Amino acid sequence: MSPQWRQWFPKFIGFAIFLLPLLFINPKTYITLTISGLAMGMLLFLVSSGFSLIFGFLSVLNLAHGALFAWGAYIGFTAFSLINKWTGWGGSNSIFSNMLIFLLVLMVAGIGVAILGVVTERLVIRPVYGSHLFQIFITVGAMIVMEELIRIVWGPNDEVMPVPMNFMGSWDLFDVVISKYPLIAIVIGLIIYFGIYTILKKTKLGLIVRAGVENPEMVQVMGHNIYRYFTGVFAAGSALAAIGGGMWATFVKSINPAMGGEVIVFALIVAIIGGLGSMTGSVVGALMVGLSYNYVAYLIPKAALGITMLLLVVILLIRPTGLFKEGT
Amino acid sequence: MEVDLVAEPILKVEGIHTFIGKHHILQGVSFDVHPGKVTVLLGRNGAGKTTTLRSIMGLLSPSQGTILFKNQAIHHMKSFDIARLGIGFVPEDRGLFNLLTVEENFRVAMFQEDKSTQQRVETILEIFPDLKRFWKAKAGILSGGQKQMLAISRPLVNKNELLLIDEPSKGLAPIVIDHLIEAVQKLQEQTMIILVEQNFYMASSLGNDFYIFDDGRTVLNGQMEELIRNEELKKKYLGISGTT
Amino acid sequence: MKKNGLNPVQIFHLKEKEERFRNPSFFLRILLLAFFMTTPFLFRSFEIADVVLKIIIFSALVASYDIILGYTGIVSLGHVMYFGIGSYFVGIFMGKLGLTSYGYLALAILIAVVISGILSVLIGFFSLRIRAIFFAMVTLAFMEFTFILASQLRPITGGEDGISFKLPGIFAIDYSLGRFLGVEFTGRMISYYLILLVSLILFLLMLRFVHSPLGRVLQSIRDNEQRSIALGYRTYLFQVMASSFASCVAAITGGCYAIWVCYVSPDSSLSVPIMLDVLLMVIVGGMGTLYGGIFGAAFLMITRAFLPKLQVLIASLLPGVPFAIRLSERWLFYFGLLFILIVYFFPKGVVGTAQEIISRRKAE
Repeated sequence: MSPQWRQWFPKFIGFAIFLLPLLFINPKTYITLTISGLAMGMLLFLVSSGFSLIFGFLSVLNLAHGALFAWGAYIGFTAFSLINKWTGWGGSNSIFSNMLIFLLVLMVAGIGVAILGVVTERLVIRPVYGSHLFQIFITVGAMIVMEELIRIVWGPNDEVMPVPMNFMGSWDLFDVVISKYPLIAIVIGLIIYFGIYTILKKTKLGLIVRAGVENPEMVQVMGHNIYRYFTGVFAAGSALAAIGGGMWATFVKSINPAMGGEVIVFALIVAIIGGLGSMTGSVVGALMVGLSYNYVAYLIPKAALGITMLLLVVILLIRPTGLFKEGT
Repeated sequence: MEVDLVAEPILKVEGIHTFIGKHHILQGVSFDVHPGKVTVLLGRNGAGKTTTLRSIMGLLSPSQGTILFKNQAIHHMKSFDIARLGIGFVPEDRGLFNLLTVEENFRVAMFQEDKSTQQRVETILEIFPDLKRFWKAKAGILSGGQKQMLAISRPLVNKNELLLIDEPSKGLAPIVIDHLIEAVQKLQEQTMIILVEQNFYMASSLGNDFYIFDDGRTVLNGQMEELIRNEELKKKYLGISGTT
Repeated sequence: MKKNGLNPVQIFHLKEKEERFRNPSFFLRILLLAFFMTTPFLFRSFEIADVVLKIIIFSALVASYDIILGYTGIVSLGHVMYFGIGSYFVGIFMGKLGLTSYGYLALAILIAVVISGILSVLIGFFSLRIRAIFFAMVTLAFMEFTFILASQLRPITGGEDGISFKLPGIFAIDYSLGRFLGVEFTGRMISYYLILLVSLILFLLMLRFVHSPLGRVLQSIRDNEQRSIALGYRTYLFQVMASSFASCVAAITGGCYAIWVCYVSPDSSLSVPIMLDVLLMVIVGGMGTLYGGIFGAAFLMITRAFLPKLQVLIASLLPGVPFAIRLSERWLFYFGLLFILIVYFFPKGVVGTAQEIISRRKAE
């Protein structure tokens, strides 16, 4: 396959995903599906970007990432109940206080899991820097421990995830049904993406991280304590997973200790498609997967996962390293 | 910079043994770097020169021996602390961040972003006007020679006292090497340099003191002028015959 | 230098063979085999025979995984997919299609083997050329995909509930051969011995494979791929060969498993937790040591069967607080911690570390 083809084929796929379904679905349903597809994409982005960033910068395969995702959901769950009990913001009809409690909950989940991430990095990841194989092993162990810890602290059953009052339901605009929450999820996701983008491109911290993705040794030689950055990036990646977890839980309205396992496979696929170590790749990959999954789920429900696998295989064939390079 | 005739070595490397895995690479390396002089490390491939630089820089930890920088022991320090003492490193592969712009490459290197740093940047850009031209371009698009200029000048945005340069002439055309020699000669005014070079032409143009490495040991040292005239030595340790 | 007309490599092999019988661990292995053969008689309880047979089956599965991971150096996270394929073909033939006869049983396993072989070759061709970690994730994704496929295609696979079936002839549970040494020789027992025999043959096959010239090439690829390529070996071809051999073995073990439990479902044959189990077993036992699989399988199976009982005991001693009860209930939690410690202190696994200590002692 000639290089030029390799260049525009992915873009072609992108457009195809967006436009082909229009042939089969009526425009109004299309809009609803697009929104939920974008929302799902945003959530996948949050989870996979953390994984991708950690892999790009630390060169570490963190299979416990899914467990961190679950922890985010659970901390969010508890935080919501507590804050709501205290302020009643969740139950109120004001969209303002709904947003407030939601953002607060996400922040708490993010910070909580970031701390968990720091501990994990120090204890579990540091000893296995440099060996992908042992990283797989030890992070699997960590995943088991974290998941079991959830079962110990919260119990092994599914729980219902509370959703702020005004987030539920949808708006009806010109006969098009637009669910509220997915829209909110998209907006929050975009804000986070731009936040990360700005930090990476404009701040010195981001600069060092981007340099470290290319050559961590050199960054160290230039006088920066790379180990602190490792811990920091790991914590940040974990926080992203946690926020993804909290938002996902609100999306599906339930949490269970094994929820990490379901999502991690998708996150992995998204990360591979987008290119490990690339933020832009995570977004694009996530949106592609999210959209295609939703469209196909509507048309042929059983083939939904199939389309994701198909995408993976196609991308692997023409661009095995993923759509975008490390560090973009 | 004034040359101190009663020179206390700025860097003292004594009896270094370094292992990489189970391979005993450095088996007793010793040399001194005197202020005002360019010290050249010579020797065949695999003799241990790069390993020595990496040991000094803290990327490898010597199992025996000492490294003193301005009388401070640095052989057990971490790389980033060593860098902050004023030692810069230009590795064989140049260590540039190709996806970052030239400006960003410099920024990563800066310890502080203050006036004196700014001034140093301007001085560098005067010596290397090409870098000014490509200031906002990604480092990856620069030519080989320009990349080398960037790699060598980058550490100098800080108050740098010692610069370790590993085979800068590698892969460069002869005329570019001439430019490089000029550039390094100008830089020499600012900082002490340890140069690892296979290219004898470059080594002899720049070097004052030399140390020859063989099999992980420093076997010979002296003044560059003596070496240039000594055909036998050149052939034995460097594999060079005739004039280079 | 030739001795009796043999070249140095042949002399080395001869010496190896001689030493084999003088090796103490050889007797250990014979003992183990004897134990497996007499378990149904030693322990009248079915439960114990069940655990032991599962250990046997998983030992073979883990050993096949070890060939890929430990000997060839490929990280696959979807190996259990072939196990599942083996199980499912037996299940579909015996259950859904009702073709209960010895012939069809053998055919089912044969087809499963062929499909597994082909599948692993395809996946290998696509993915072995890319970075190792990608391969791991791709195999994981494929296994997940198969899992979901099995869950959804109800008419063929029985969906999430799976397929229960009966075995033909002498393997059927209600068949009896009469009493022997005081124990009823039921179809179950016969299945036990069949599976033991099959697993033994598989294990010996794998040993042969690993010690064959092909096996040695694989080890050299694992240790230094660049060098092997420089020596002229098309490394990825060898890797694909090893991978397909291992997946065929895995398919057979899957068939055996289905025969033993007379049931197949996505969760019991194709799921990620099973893959994790196999991973755990190979790590605990030791990569690159086929016997490690036996230890790892035994460790996990015994822990899983008996720790919960230990727990009930402990729980009865600790009253009241749900948190404390749960702390003692979740034995998997302690297992996870134990596992991390094992990876940390015994990176070569228990059997691997033992082997290392022994060879170090020999060298002194």
